[in-house]
Amino acid sequence: MRFSVVLSAFLLLAMAAITSCKEKNPEQIVDEIVDEVDTPTKVAIHFNPLWENQDFLMESVYHDNFGNRIRVDKFMQYMSSLTLVNESGDDVVLKDFHLMDFMVDNSFEFEVPPGNYKEIKFGIGVPEADNKDQDPSQYANSHPLSVAGSQGMFWTWNTGYIFLKFEGKVDTTGVEGNELLWPVAIHIGDDPYYARYNSPTLVIEVIQGETKTINVNIQVDQILASGGSDDIDFATDMITHTSNNVQLAQAFMINYINSITIEQ
Amino acid sequence: MKFLVILCGFLILTSCETVAILKDDPLNVRIPGGFPPIVYPEGNEPTKLRVELGRRLFYDNRLSANQTVNCSSCHVLSTAFTDSKTTSTGLAGLPGKRNSPTLANVAWMPRFMMEGGVPTLETQALAPLHDTMEMGMNMMFAVRELNQDAKLRAMSLAAYGRDSIDPFVVTRSLAAFQRTIISGDSRWDRYRQGQVKEMNQEELIGMKLFFSEQTNCGNCHKGIFYTDFDYYNIGLDEVYADNGKERASHKAEDIGKFKTPTLRNIALTSPYMHDGRLNSLEDVVAFYNEGGKPHVNKDTRIRPLGLTTEEQSQLVAFMKTLTDWNFVQNAQLAPLN
Repeated sequence: MRFSVVLSAFLLLAMAAITSCKEKNPEQIVDEIVDEVDTPTKVAIHFNPLWENQDFLMESVYHDNFGNRIRVDKFMQYMSSLTLVNESGDDVVLKDFHLMDFMVDNSFEFEVPPGNYKEIKFGIGVPEADNKDQDPSQYANSHPLSVAGSQGMFWTWNTGYIFLKFEGKVDTTGVEGNELLWPVAIHIGDDPYYARYNSPTLVIEVIQGETKTINVNIQVDQILASGGSDDIDFATDMITHTSNNVQLAQAFMINYINSITIEQ
Repeated sequence: MKFLVILCGFLILTSCETVAILKDDPLNVRIPGGFPPIVYPEGNEPTKLRVELGRRLFYDNRLSANQTVNCSSCHVLSTAFTDSKTTSTGLAGLPGKRNSPTLANVAWMPRFMMEGGVPTLETQALAPLHDTMEMGMNMMFAVRELNQDAKLRAMSLAAYGRDSIDPFVVTRSLAAFQRTIISGDSRWDRYRQGQVKEMNQEELIGMKLFFSEQTNCGNCHKGIFYTDFDYYNIGLDEVYADNGKERASHKAEDIGKFKTPTLRNIALTSPYMHDGRLNSLEDVVAFYNEGGKPHVNKDTRIRPLGLTTEEQSQLVAFMKTLTDWNFVQNAQLAPLN
């Protein structure tokens, strides 16, 4: 029995070798098949903060549209339900929660079924079901919503996650060399401020055995000066813990969503 | 094989510390007569070691950033787990913004903090720990310190099945201990259970006034716990420095609303109000008698009461019958040696 199985396999390989193109021997064919099976099909998603289309560097000084000089020292946010939508309209959820810290690289790779995808979408913040009245100590330390994983992005006196922190210093004179004196603190949380980004319709072609790169670009300069009614001038409005300044929290979140572009 | 067994035995014998294996048992918490049963959260039913671990942590300075304060710094047994200060001071003497609330009977409290922003006693433990004005400690630093203690690790394993202290163990055990902070043995309790001589004539008149439509005190300070656990604006200010419930709800209608405090042991928990502005029970009754200051959110029952000086004294006399002297001397709630 065992001999007959081995013999059948040998004959099949021999047949394949005979009927294949002349340059390939049976070993090459087997190697290619193995390669194809072993090489995963992936998407690599990079979240890139930019300033005027250049890499945005934390702890560097930039000039905003109002002439203020601003240095961002902390920029963290929760991302939830990072999802690709396939051609059939089905969601392929890649990641449920992640706490992004723009002080470091925020790149992810996921194995996905090959094919075409038409949308990328994700939430900024933590959705209602996982936000209010939750207990971070219920999660293992490795979980982004745990006490350790949340890295201070949790309000303990009014339980709920801080969706986004954007902190730094600003000099409203705009004069080079002047000290950046005024603190900027944008802390956004609470259910009404949970925001979802849905890309426009795209053609994301993910080929078997290859890695498709998707760049999610966040134009930080446009968050502050969108050109619309929600421009943020740190000379006049620079601190929100959400409930104490809902206008600034709303403007920041609206501009944030509008600042996102997708590049392949 | 024989060599491996000998090697393992050698490694065990020479390991740096021995962790005792402890056995845990359910704890029968005594509930005062007339009190409803405690509804325990799943997975944190009371056991001897859970409560003992929480009791140890409650009095443990390692839960504060500079290891100088602990839960009992603001919640002192002898004053019904308050601290007698206008507003509590935290780490390095930093002034807090609110008066320390009593922990008596928190097992029955539906939500926590004066604005009700915290849903469970387990989650509440995170608030003072992380507050830079209170204990100022990152929980992860705290558990690192606590895990140096083999005894605590052994208790964690026996009580919660976790071989090291983690945020889950800290929050659960603190809550387990706090659910044993029960007070229901005041003179008023004994009176309601049939020992009518426990209260004198002045106190009985005060009780009648307390529950009368003239004062409406018993409308909010009601039931076995002398609180309805609801939130009201009682006209303390025309403009509030601390907006109370509005901070959590973001609704203008909640400005100036704070949770009704229990009046059990109220004579021991001065000063009063969320910011400790009133020093004595006499001051509190006088405030209500005047009817408070105007505010759009003020409860309509807060209005001038027209109480005589004698009636005010009778109200105070009645409230003093709510003191539970056995509670504030309960050795089971004191620090372990």
